[in-house]
Amino acid sequence: MARSRVDDGVLTVGRSRVGTAFANTGGVLFSIVMLFPVYWILNTAFKPANEVLALTPTFLPKDPTFANFTSAFKAPLFLADMVNGLIVTLLAVAGSLVVGFLAALAIARFRFYGRKAIILVVLAVQLVPFVSLLIPLFLMLQSVSLTNSLVGVSITYLVLILPYTVWTLRGFISAIPRELDEAALIDGCSRPQVFWRIILPLTGPGLVATSVYGFIQAWNEFIIINTLNSPDKQNLMAWLLQNQTTRGTAWGPLMAGAIITSIPVVIFFLIIQRNIATGLTAGAVKG
Amino acid sequence: MSVVDTPTRPPRGSAPHRPEHAARPRRRRDRTPWLLAAPTLLLLAALLGYPMVKMVELSFQNMRLRELISGRAPAWVGLDNYTRVLSDSVFWSVVLRTVAFTAVSVIVSVLFGLGIALLMRRVARGVRLLMMVAMMFVWALPQLVAAQIFRWITDSDFGVINYLIDKLPGVDYQNHSWFVSPAQGWLVITTLVVWAGIPFLAITLNAGLTQVPKELIEAATVDGASAWQVLRSITLPMLKPLIVIVTTLSVIWNFGLFVQNWVLRDSHPEPAFQTLATYSYTQAFGQSRYSLGAAISVITVLLMLGVMAFYIRQMFKIGEVD
Repeated sequence: MARSRVDDGVLTVGRSRVGTAFANTGGVLFSIVMLFPVYWILNTAFKPANEVLALTPTFLPKDPTFANFTSAFKAPLFLADMVNGLIVTLLAVAGSLVVGFLAALAIARFRFYGRKAIILVVLAVQLVPFVSLLIPLFLMLQSVSLTNSLVGVSITYLVLILPYTVWTLRGFISAIPRELDEAALIDGCSRPQVFWRIILPLTGPGLVATSVYGFIQAWNEFIIINTLNSPDKQNLMAWLLQNQTTRGTAWGPLMAGAIITSIPVVIFFLIIQRNIATGLTAGAVKG
Repeated sequence: MSVVDTPTRPPRGSAPHRPEHAARPRRRRDRTPWLLAAPTLLLLAALLGYPMVKMVELSFQNMRLRELISGRAPAWVGLDNYTRVLSDSVFWSVVLRTVAFTAVSVIVSVLFGLGIALLMRRVARGVRLLMMVAMMFVWALPQLVAAQIFRWITDSDFGVINYLIDKLPGVDYQNHSWFVSPAQGWLVITTLVVWAGIPFLAITLNAGLTQVPKELIEAATVDGASAWQVLRSITLPMLKPLIVIVTTLSVIWNFGLFVQNWVLRDSHPEPAFQTLATYSYTQAFGQSRYSLGAAISVITVLLMLGVMAFYIRQMFKIGEVD
């Protein structure tokens, strides 16, 4: 990375050639081990069926084919579940962005009685394992006929990603110098105008990063949707789960389906990785 | 990974604190912040708070399939569910297993994460980039997909792991089933969890390492400290708050293990592969014992409460929350 000249310092002590060679070998080996499962899913997905189920696995497809991908697309409910997943995810992200932004604004820009309590709630609810709330949630949505509905799941996902959204946007808004607000106020802006003309535009990148992360979380969820909805109202993750139990495992199409399902989130993740990786450390190590 | 904060690293050497009063003269009773926060609070109350209350209520009732279908109010049974759960040796073995898995997987992941983070400081730039890319791909993979891959590579008939191990001299691993013995099955599950957890840990800790001031290390070296001494007396102490945070998060996440054992056991984990989360879920949705499942969930959350409180206190302490 760009700043490596500066940060090489941590372990430079006692640095020997042999040691560095050792370290480099270790680093390469580690990368290979980490990437092996990723490589194997790609390897499998492009093999024809007979090669997937070969007793001696081939380490590169002898006969590369797209057959698994086409059969995944043609599999029952694959496209339907893809559309469902998109609808549910986009609704949840849009909703939580709007709702969460307002709350983030309150926490970041106002000092008021109860502010710490709200922060506490936002932090705490992120830690509650959602699976444990599934029983009452299921009964609750059932009683208002929102099980087996995309609306019920969308609202659930909205709430699932909301705490994170609030927490992250809070950080982005706090990063905007308050002096900008004040200057605008002095120049005759009203408070809503400050919001529309200063804070919202400056939080733009933050909104993108936050919604992308929300998208990843909602897209990857399957336990809730698998519990609340029947297969025709589920998403691709749940499809991947079902696929294993119904008729044995067709590994080739399953791996191809898994790749199709992962592509959007992997790309999104790689785009915003910088935010995720540097975020947590911001306050933790005071240099 | 859901609790990661935003990249609002303050510029070094900027004025540490703005005088509180200068910034905001409006201290009067202002309802605006509450109005802004209201939608969020309402949603959280309706879909998190209310279910939480319901979960506790449910655990004191007897909700079965009959009540669910007929819509009749379930009968109150007092502490029956709790006495039943707590006097069940199966439940205690699940608790023990979950705790043991959490302890082992967290220790292994954090040690690995720290080791890899330190290694990243030592390797050449190209190698570091390679490690970073490898970890990013692993991190980006959806949990379910990662679990499916592991299911496939450990498949007894066509899994590549059996093939590779079988190649070792004197080992016969053809058609070996990894999940016949609980110990081996848990080895696979733990490997999956550690493998998937390392990127977050190593990348976060590596980022922390880059913030340890170089001057300190140089000074120590000039004074004759060995690499090990520098690590023990400078690097690790400075990294401690971060290590505490990521360890706490790992404990919370791993204690709630669901996806990995669920998927690797084809959505029907055998008793030996149940954790608290899957056990509660199976009781509720598999056996239609909703109340019993709720009681198990309540106990699970209570068991974790201390760790969660600790995490939040740490977040306040390191000043992430101002």
